Amino acid sequence: MKHPFLIIAAALLWSTMAAAQGVRYELRVDGLACPFCAYGIEKKFKKTKGVEAVDIDLERGLVVVSAGEGVQLTREQVERIVKDAGFTLRSMTEKTLP
Amino acid sequence: MTRRMKPLVIFPLVLCFSLLASCAWFPEAKEPPYALVKSWGEKGSGPGQFDEPTGIAVAGEEVFVSDARNGRILVFDFDGNYRRQIGQPGEGPGQLGRPMNLEISADRLYVADYWNDRILIYDLSGAFQRGIGERGAGPGQFKEPGGVAVAGNGDLFVADFNNHRVQQLSSGGEFIRQWGVTGETGFLAGKFNYPTDVALDAEGNLYVADGYNDRIQVFGPDGALLRKWGGPFALNLNGSFNGWFATVTSIDIGPGGNVFVADFYNDRVQKFTLQGRFLTAFGVKPAGPVHTAMAVAVADDGHVFVADFDRNRVEKWAPVR
Repeated sequence: MKHPFLIIAAALLWSTMAAAQGVRYELRVDGLACPFCAYGIEKKFKKTKGVEAVDIDLERGLVVVSAGEGVQLTREQVERIVKDAGFTLRSMTEKTLP
Repeated sequence: MTRRMKPLVIFPLVLCFSLLASCAWFPEAKEPPYALVKSWGEKGSGPGQFDEPTGIAVAGEEVFVSDARNGRILVFDFDGNYRRQIGQPGEGPGQLGRPMNLEISADRLYVADYWNDRILIYDLSGAFQRGIGERGAGPGQFKEPGGVAVAGNGDLFVADFNNHRVQQLSSGGEFIRQWGVTGETGFLAGKFNYPTDVALDAEGNLYVADGYNDRIQVFGPDGALLRKWGGPFALNLNGSFNGWFATVTSIDIGPGGNVFVADFYNDRVQKFTLQGRFLTAFGVKPAGPVHTAMAVAVADDGHVFVADFDRNRVEKWAPVR
């Protein structure tokens, strides 16, 4: 019975650390065609609380969003931001920053 | 009609259609391409450096360039010698977020500030005069304006990018009329799909760079659509053939009465008559991962200046005689 408690405790610790360390989100977005689009989506994310940096790779349709310590963006939240900017979210991955 | 006769009728029809299509949709160049005579700039934030040049205009012997990520306008002479900076990054009066396409009229510089949802006006020395507009979808408001043109009477025509419309405002910013339906994209005549820039010819006709519809639409002074071009029927079919576009980001009308269009994804500027007849194209392929021909401006002496987004530089092109 000890193991499940250990696993839950470790998971809680990990998620707390992840939130404290900040997260980088890599978003694949359909429809990014030029700097006009890139600036539009960047503007939306930069007005989102906790977002510290946004980098956009037009050629690959990739938007990289870095959130600060203790900030977590949900997929629904990201989808809404991308949609409000006029685009479609294809996929989303997140990495905890070291 | 018998089955044997059908091919006899269909074949000439197909042949005629193909010939017409090849003339209209795949035109030959009528002029030689321009020659690249000079370029200047590199990535950075110092004097004369750029971090994503997105707009360009010329007046007298000077070139004005939107330096988007640095939130400023840089001014050079025609040989690329740096002269001064206009504006600084920020959201306050006279400060710039992401300056995009530029216009110069009656010794005033008009800047479409995409980030701050307004048009800023400076004198050519750089002194801030005033701002027009605010964020919104109502009359006289903007959502990420991309470009502006100014009529002889001072009226402003603004490509209201994310509202999918073009607005005409008085010199004081009062709404007069608009083209397109606010917030609605469309590819049929008169509708827009992220308009990026506008220009006026000497007759007062309005030329709209209909960005993601990959076409130019032209409206008369009475507001009626006169013509459109860009691919078959100008119905949002993109391509790299002569006269086709792949994301139109800037437009200017030269002193000779020709239309110059920045065709961003095709890394080229295309030159047309006012009626939309293709004349020639020129540009350079990117060195990096993005594209080159972002914005275009034509000087009175016929030189064409291009904001090269990929290489963070300005290019000066000359007609080949």
